[in-house]
This record gives sequence, C-alpha cells and structure tokens, in this order.
Amino acid sequence: MSKQDDTAGPVAAPVTEARGTRIDPRLLEILVCPLTKSTLEYDSAKQELISRAAKLAYPIRDGIPIMLPEEARSLEE
Amino acid sequence: MSESRTHEALVGHQFGSQAAAYLNSMVHAQGADLEALAALVDPRSEAHVLDLGCGAGHVSFKVAPRAGQVVAYDLSPQMLEVVARTAAERGIENIVTRQGAAERLPFRDESFDCVLSRYSAHHWRDFEAGLREVARVLRPGGIAGFVDAVSPGLPPLDTHLQAIELLRDPSHVRNYSRAEWEAAIVRAGLRPGTVAVHRVRLEFGSWVERMRTPKVLAEAIRTLQTSMSETVVRYFDIGSDGSFDLDVGSFQAAKAAV
Repeated sequence: MSKQDDTAGPVAAPVTEARGTRIDPRLLEILVCPLTKSTLEYDSAKQELISRAAKLAYPIRDGIPIMLPEEARSLEE
Repeated sequence: MSESRTHEALVGHQFGSQAAAYLNSMVHAQGADLEALAALVDPRSEAHVLDLGCGAGHVSFKVAPRAGQVVAYDLSPQMLEVVARTAAERGIENIVTRQGAAERLPFRDESFDCVLSRYSAHHWRDFEAGLREVARVLRPGGIAGFVDAVSPGLPPLDTHLQAIELLRDPSHVRNYSRAEWEAAIVRAGLRPGTVAVHRVRLEFGSWVERMRTPKVLAEAIRTLQTSMSETVVRYFDIGSDGSFDLDVGSFQAAKAAV
C-alpha cells in the first residue's frame, strides 16, 4: 500500500495494528463499553480494556478486542 | 454464565469452523450488491467505515481501498482471524478487527461515516436493536448500506424459507421481508434510501456444505422441498437437486444531518 498524503487536514492516516501488539490509541478512542457506552481504560500489561461503569475487563486476544460482556472478567470481589 | 447455549455461542459455533469456506464462497465474494455497497463510500473522504457482521471480510476488503479506516466487526473470533490474516497477506493496512454483538456495539456515538452490513442481519438476535445501534454510531449525515436475504413476505413462502434456513443453520434467526426492512430502518431513526432486490441462485450442495449441515437435516430440507405446493416450488424455482433462487435485498439509509 502506498503512503497517503495527509495534507488535507486533521484526518487520521490509516492505522496498522500488528497482531499481538498494542492497540492504536486513535482506534481506542472510539471504543466504549458495549453495556454502558462509557469510556474504557487500556491495561497494556494485562491486555484488557477496563469498564469501570460495568466493572468488567474485556480481554484483547491476538490483538482483537473481545467486546462481549459474557467473555469479560468481572472486577467485583 | 449459564450452561445453556446462548445465541452468541450458537453463531460462534456455526461460523467458527467454517471461516475459510466463507472466504472462498462465490455467493459471498462476488456480486453487484457488493460493488454497490462499496460505492457508498466516497474515496476522497477518508471515511471511517464499520463492516458490521463482517464474516470473512468481503465487504471490508472491497471497501478498504476507498476508505480511511475499516473496522471489521463480528461475533466469531475465527472469522476475524481469517480477516486479519487475509488482510496481512494482501498487504491491506487499514482494516482492524473487533469482536462483539450487533445489538451492543462497543463504539462511541457518531464514530463512523458509513456502516455497511452484508448477509449478517438475519443472524441478529434483536434486529431492531441492531439497527438502532447502527443509527447511534453513525455521524449525522452518515450512510448505512445493508444487504441480506429477504423473505417474499407471503406467509406460505415465508414459512418455507425460514424452515429450510433453520434446518440448514440452527443460528438462523429470520429473513425479513422488504417491507419489514423498510419499516425497521425508519423506526431506528434512519432515513430510508434506495432499495434494490435481486435474485441469487443457490447451488444446494455448496449451500449446505458451507454450513456443514448434518446429513439428516440436509435430507429434511430436500424432503420438505419435494412436499411443497406448486406455488412454493415455482416461486423459489426449486430444482431437482434442491438448488433454488433466493431474493437478496439491498437497503440504503442515512442519518439526518443536524
């Protein structure tokens, strides 16, 4: 793929996410908790996306955020 | 979670093992409807596109050269693996994968310029909730394009279609009629646009093979097909080998620009 000219303004260039590597912050910006639609915190060490509102941690497996409440880890004691 | 099988598990199971078959399926990889979907994206706009229920990623691959960024979204991690691997093989750099359900999109309000969805809605547990989510994540003025098998609507024809679909695939929920689609799009708060319906000939062997339908159920479909009234046989043009014609609808919609 050729590099795009980004002279037109604040348009984000295409973003690559190699599998198993960290998730691009620009793409994390649009991700929310599917239950509460609230923002997520990215735990890069655990490869999880934390929803404080839902008290759930969504796993990232092979670079794919798994945004299913039934697959998420509960953060409640 | 309970021990009972969730709909999500059912869909995941149906498609997980068959991901490669979908990547190579001609019904899925080709078609004027696929070209028309991709054409909804203006190549000059660097559009942020959601491929909702991406399956093996045919829409994502078709639209990627015209888009800024494509989010390939599906319930099945195996399908997403196929998408990610194929994208890497083809050197496509602007497709990312996210896993989840259509009824609960994990995206911010107004985060996409365009939402495309092909052969997916008939699997959604809650069709209308999925459409409402599409309306939510579209930016004002954003465009949606849906392609799916549609029911002829007439009850005897509709019942036959849903029956064979369910026998083939236990995760089948419903093929909606054109009228149901149009009404649901409006109820979701979207402005209805162009509608087109075309017919696709489904070759029986590959149709059941793709889903790995158990022999007993494939035979049940054949038995059902041969016991149908002339009206049903004619409408679907059911052949001696079980091949038949399916109506496929293309629905465009837009979110009002504020």
